[in-house]
Amino acid sequence: MNLRKYFAVFYKEAIDNLRDRRTLLTVLVFGPLFGPLFYTVMMSTVINRQVADLDQPYTLAVQGADLAPGLMDYLRQNNLRIEKAPDDPRGAVKTGKLDVVLVVPADYAAAFSASRPADVRLIVDKSRESAGKNVERVRDAVERYSRSISVLRLIARGVDPRALSPVVIEDADVSTPQSRAVLLLGMMPYFLLFAAILGAFYLAIDSTAGERERGSLEPLLTTAVSRSTLVLGKLSAVTLFSAVSLGIDIVALLWCQHLIPAAKVGISVNITPMTSLTTFLVCLPFSLFIAGLLSVVASFTKSYKEAQTWLSFIMLVPMIPVLGLVMFPMEPAWWMMLLPSMSQDVLITELIKGEPLQPLFVALSMVSTLVIGGALSALAVWLYKRERILG
Amino acid sequence: MIEVIDLEKNFGPVQAVRGVSFSAPDGRITGLLGPNGAGKSTTLRIVSTVLRPGAGTVKVDGVDVAVDGNRARLALGVLPHQSGLYPRLTARENIRYYGELNGITGMALDQRVAELVELLEIGEFADRPAKGFSQGQKIKVALARAMVHGPRNLVLDEPTNGLDVMATRALRALIRKLKEAGHCVLFSSHVMQEVAALCDEIVIIAHGRIVARGTPDELRKQTGESDLEEAFVKLCGTEVAA
Repeated sequence: MNLRKYFAVFYKEAIDNLRDRRTLLTVLVFGPLFGPLFYTVMMSTVINRQVADLDQPYTLAVQGADLAPGLMDYLRQNNLRIEKAPDDPRGAVKTGKLDVVLVVPADYAAAFSASRPADVRLIVDKSRESAGKNVERVRDAVERYSRSISVLRLIARGVDPRALSPVVIEDADVSTPQSRAVLLLGMMPYFLLFAAILGAFYLAIDSTAGERERGSLEPLLTTAVSRSTLVLGKLSAVTLFSAVSLGIDIVALLWCQHLIPAAKVGISVNITPMTSLTTFLVCLPFSLFIAGLLSVVASFTKSYKEAQTWLSFIMLVPMIPVLGLVMFPMEPAWWMMLLPSMSQDVLITELIKGEPLQPLFVALSMVSTLVIGGALSALAVWLYKRERILG
Repeated sequence: MIEVIDLEKNFGPVQAVRGVSFSAPDGRITGLLGPNGAGKSTTLRIVSTVLRPGAGTVKVDGVDVAVDGNRARLALGVLPHQSGLYPRLTARENIRYYGELNGITGMALDQRVAELVELLEIGEFADRPAKGFSQGQKIKVALARAMVHGPRNLVLDEPTNGLDVMATRALRALIRKLKEAGHCVLFSSHVMQEVAALCDEIVIIAHGRIVARGTPDELRKQTGESDLEEAFVKLCGTEVAA
């Protein structure tokens, strides 16, 4: 391989594609920034609303409030305002005007005084998720009232209320505020790998199928440069674009973590620049892998459009192990380190939790991803040596 | 000097080239003439090392293309069917890129590019991206690109395709100039007048075989037709009948 020619190819692909607005936007903006920003805004909104809502009084519509003065007092103490329910409570809930209506039936008082179970009814619409929080709040308050009354009744009858709790569970949570960060940032590995893939996407197409479609591949192959030099130069450019997109994504996450009010829900997100750097280095082999994978697939396709169709599909393949781990959570194991994307996913997750990385795992992940990436590059070189490459 | 000896090439069951032999000497313009699908482009693509010969040999300045492709490519300048410029690079950058790929760098490259810009009258649009170039401008830049490493042999695949009259004339003048400078020019066309106006020697190819060769005068004599186009039709027609 001729180094000077290798750099000529590398430089040309990089400069050429930097002039393409679509590629540039994808590499610098859509790929790396969209995920973190969207996620930050979403999480911040969710957390802020949840925290704020509990402090806000909720106005509960009650039918027959006069029948249960004790319950009403209890609810008022629990930051619920009581108002009279409309004439058609079912209709009001069904149309979404009210989230929940509490109905106290006429025989409530009689049952209550006789220490029989006194029914109250909650009218809810379970298909409306947005109502769920308020419904739970009301249900929770009524249940707590019920428990406190039962305790009082037992005492009145000379029974120790503790008799009702023969076994008590005490949770000893060993998670730390930092390790719970994974609950918030579980999506992060996905964003990182996605950024690495999108960064490589257009350049991989442009430098293979695009080159053929423009008719520039044939003259290129008549120059005194070996096809391996040519392919390696192109692959390096694709890898670089992927790594740049990855790097921007990591920096964006480093910055975005401060925007999520994680402390409000007892989670400490603390990604240090050192963590970011480690993440970047751990993911770097993935950029080579994805460059090789996308280039090999794009070499088979006849046109830019066809390549786009195939690559959009291929893009999802590295996401399969990541989603697999979401559906079937497993402890990190050595065999996971052999699969590109899965190994990065596992390692990044450990990093977010603030756990120390096992050097063996890191080495296995980097070596296996590099070896598979290298094999794909060799396959790309071989594909370029065939006559069929001209289509 | 380009020599083609008993060249054969199949694509699956299709025999595109079936035993073609000719030679294109230095300081001469050799035209490869034939109807569409006759095997002209395939032959030129094998000469330019993009395809491998199925059987037979192609030598460029004595170098077998199948043995030492890189050395053969250094002696060759190729203008393929499509100009294939990079639309986002300027004319100058397109030319420079090929110079670098062919091992020219630094001052030598700057100087060579400047020479070609002048020779091919590219100056006016040299620093514009190739995206908006007219067909004539594209051919000029593609030709400059093919010549950047100063190859002795030039292979031009239907270079006048899509050019207007003025651009065609300018290109013809240029090809003559190259011939006078001692280059070996091998070019293909399916237009009789084109070949007649330019070539020292014509090789007529049909259905993958050579059906006739010679100077325009010799071909007229051979067929007894005074009009070259009639001669062409007659020559290709006999092949179809056979």
